[in-house]
Amino acid sequence: MFGEEELVKVHKNRAGIIGNIMLACFGLILARLWYLQVYKGEQLHQFSIQNRLRKEVVWAPRGQIFSRDEQLLVDNIPRYDAIITPQYLLERDETIPRLEKILSLEPDTIQKLLKKNANQATYRPITVKKNIDFNELAQIESLNADLPGVSVQTFISREYKDKDVGAHLLGYISEISQDQLPKFKKRDSFDYRLGDFIGQFGVEEQLDRYLRGVNGHEFVEVDSRGRRKRYINTDNLFKGIEDENPTQGMNVRLTIDRDMQLAAYTALEGKVGSVVAIDIETGEILTMVSRPAFDPSQFSRGLNPEYWRSLITNKLNPLRDRNIQEHFSPGSTFKPVTGIMGLEENLVDEHSDVVCTGSLKFGRKAYHCWKKEGHGSTSMVKAIRESCNIYFQKTAMRTGIDTLAKYAHLLGLGKKTGIALPREVSGLIPTEEWKKKRFGEEWQPGETLSCSIGQSYVLTSTIQLAQAYAVIANGGKIYRPQLVKEIYNEKGEITQPFKPELVSDFKFKNPNTLRLVREGLYQVLNNQKGTAYYRRGKGLQMAGKTGTAQVVRASADKVYQKCDQMEYQYRHHGIFVAFAPYKNPKVAIAVLVEHGCSGSGAAAPVVEPVMTTYMKKYQPELYLENLELEKQMGTSIAPAAKVVPVDVDVD
Amino acid sequence: MYQSLVAYLKRYDFSFIGSFFAIFLVGVLNLYSATHSQTHDGLHMLYRSQIIWWLMATATAIIVSIIFNPKTFERVSYFAYGVTFFLLILVIIMGDVGMGAQRWLNFGPIRMQPSEFMKLGLAMALARYFSRVHPERELVLKDLIVPGLIAAIPAVMVIIQPDLGTGMLLLLIFSMVIFYKRLKWKTIISLIMAALVGGVLMYNFGLREYQRKRIHTFIDPYADAKGSGYNAIQSEIAIGSGRLFGKGFKNSSQASLQYLPENHTDFVFAIFNEEHGFFGSMFLVLLYLILFLRLIWLASSVQRFYDSVLVIGITGIFFWHTFINMSMVSGMMPIVGIPLPMMSYGGSAMMTYGVCIGMVTAISNSRNFFN
Repeated sequence: MFGEEELVKVHKNRAGIIGNIMLACFGLILARLWYLQVYKGEQLHQFSIQNRLRKEVVWAPRGQIFSRDEQLLVDNIPRYDAIITPQYLLERDETIPRLEKILSLEPDTIQKLLKKNANQATYRPITVKKNIDFNELAQIESLNADLPGVSVQTFISREYKDKDVGAHLLGYISEISQDQLPKFKKRDSFDYRLGDFIGQFGVEEQLDRYLRGVNGHEFVEVDSRGRRKRYINTDNLFKGIEDENPTQGMNVRLTIDRDMQLAAYTALEGKVGSVVAIDIETGEILTMVSRPAFDPSQFSRGLNPEYWRSLITNKLNPLRDRNIQEHFSPGSTFKPVTGIMGLEENLVDEHSDVVCTGSLKFGRKAYHCWKKEGHGSTSMVKAIRESCNIYFQKTAMRTGIDTLAKYAHLLGLGKKTGIALPREVSGLIPTEEWKKKRFGEEWQPGETLSCSIGQSYVLTSTIQLAQAYAVIANGGKIYRPQLVKEIYNEKGEITQPFKPELVSDFKFKNPNTLRLVREGLYQVLNNQKGTAYYRRGKGLQMAGKTGTAQVVRASADKVYQKCDQMEYQYRHHGIFVAFAPYKNPKVAIAVLVEHGCSGSGAAAPVVEPVMTTYMKKYQPELYLENLELEKQMGTSIAPAAKVVPVDVDVD
Repeated sequence: MYQSLVAYLKRYDFSFIGSFFAIFLVGVLNLYSATHSQTHDGLHMLYRSQIIWWLMATATAIIVSIIFNPKTFERVSYFAYGVTFFLLILVIIMGDVGMGAQRWLNFGPIRMQPSEFMKLGLAMALARYFSRVHPERELVLKDLIVPGLIAAIPAVMVIIQPDLGTGMLLLLIFSMVIFYKRLKWKTIISLIMAALVGGVLMYNFGLREYQRKRIHTFIDPYADAKGSGYNAIQSEIAIGSGRLFGKGFKNSSQASLQYLPENHTDFVFAIFNEEHGFFGSMFLVLLYLILFLRLIWLASSVQRFYDSVLVIGITGIFFWHTFINMSMVSGMMPIVGIPLPMMSYGGSAMMTYGVCIGMVTAISNSRNFFN
């Protein structure tokens, strides 16, 4: 038997072994910790960051768009979407119906949505409802704890102050769709993401890279239930993880005048057509309105499918910008081109009168003047004033289509104006070569006659007509139409001033050319025999030309049929192009009213209020001068009721 | 009177209570850090109750160390074992279900986990048994039958609660004691072989599905990263992301964002690692090692064999908890619910440790007093 103390001593050996085993065990632990914290530390550290930090996009506020007189046209407003992150969606049986109730969705909507997106990563948020209202927003935010996995995402959407007015010009932004993604990525060599907003129309599209700004990002801490809070990097735990503030997009000041826009829009009420006003000395676009239009705000707020369907099924195609995306026969508004050709080519002069008998036989075909009985002896000025077909046809007869085309081109017709807007059409000024290429046929001299009065193959757009008349008014200078006056940053520093861009400057050989043509145009509005005498307005001193373009090639009897008795789609287009003031031209305006029957009846009344707005606002002195002048001449009294004899309308 | 008090205090062994306090202090700060942001779950005040538990445990330790003589422990050994055994039976009959297991007993406001007390009860019973029955003999297999039952019966009762971790812990305490009691190496080897075979059989027939899953998860936690492997991965991420120096006090992102479940109990070590890094953990491990080595030293320097075995048993309690917890949190063992002594939140455990500390202090003091 051992004594107690001896017993303890006997076991000392084992105690020592236990001590050593314990040391070994802790050695093992420390080795493991070394492995995790030092060997794999960096990697696990990254894991821990990714685990909780989510990089979220902070949308850059898009630049604002202003009118030339600095009135706000396009602004940003926040838009809220309700989203679900399936990863964090807990207690589905309760959460989903709760959310459906708040958003007043049909039961099962969300389940279906989840099923549809079942094969995407669960951390990817799914949009449940776009553009929720404030009530819904407030409910989601206050029930946050009972709605695990549900959150609200903020976007910036666009607000177009005047809604439909100038919609085509301003354009819209909308989300990049799946099929658009590769296209835009390639175009801008920028890594767009699905759901990024991008300008897809008008100025928004054309100036997208300026307006867009640079999105920032912020790091948001997300806990294991999906609750998020802003990560504040105060402790400098994670170097290199910094929020990045977005850079606001550039602001744009357009050349557009808001008041003229509104006047044009109002004047086009109930009509289908377009209005362009150009500053003849700079090429700046003052007005550009097309109707019917659409509300561009809708596109950045999650387009309502019904609204979209109503736009694309509308036969009048509200999405088309009739200023630049449509061309048509200019009709009589083309006659000054023929007139210029005649004078410049010395085919006619001030004194060479042509007798108009109401029709002209050429080859086997008879060409009719709109005035059955004819204009009689007709000079250049009279021909323009009264829109005599025969005068211009006889002039054109003496030369070929190519000469005519040369002058049309000099005025900018038949080619794109180069306005900074997408999808501009070029129109068409035919040549012999063109016809051969296009149809493989020889040019028929008779076709030159049709072309000389703006028919047959000749096609122009509204903006081209405005530009052509601007060239007549300014003496041969073609300016590229400008939409942007300047682009400036949020501090107001101009980063991109736009200067007038002279495309060509033609010097007329014949000093009488412009004088006679302008005189004729002036008399259209200011001579009692002029085709638009009753549309001259007050204080405008306009010079212009009416035009009526046949939509279908009409036989002779159709020409004389009353237009308003025809079916809508067969009615003539009404066109009116003018510049003012006559003595000191500043602005040119072109108006197209589709199926409006006549230029003087449908289009000229649109020009008048737009021009009046311009004169009052930008040329108040000239306006007063004009009023005074008209008083002296006794022509200022416009007819009390603008009831215009119908036959005057046909030109 | 004053002089004798001074003399008493001079002989009083403060090392265990000091060590107990040191680890607790680290633990309660860590607990505060781990839970301070969990206001919505009401966990942010947890550190206060932990302090209260510690105060009670320390008071108990001091009282035990002052008023009890180690001989008293020896006398009440079987009684203490019997009482805790009875409580374990009560748990089976009327225990409270918490966290999917029946572990708790409610006596009015007091809520306790008898399996915690059983660890100490077992250590006492084994000390008593081995100090009386052939204390001088090297153990062979047949000597293990009676003490084996003393350990195995409560262990099985705990395992079926089910609380595999604590059950295993009882067996590990038992192993440490019999190893100390000079179990023959030959027997040790054959027992290890038997344990391996038994383990395989146990795995196939004796474990519940969730326990089996834990083992699967341990082998490849990333196979089910969002499910049962979640804790293991998050724990490793927390530890690893601490790197050498840690993210600093209250800066555990894994904890404050609740990526670590139960971060106030089983996973406190992960939080500690995340916030204090490798050097911090070295410091903590050192604190534990000081306690354990001091205990081992004490076991070899007492006069009475019962005291010696009891100290080894208590060492086993502290050591196995610490080692298993650290191993599982750092991914070296499957995740079983074993808290880290003095660091994890838990009243019953803290009280048990308080009693243990009191007993070893009393043993140490008695050694000095009778010298």
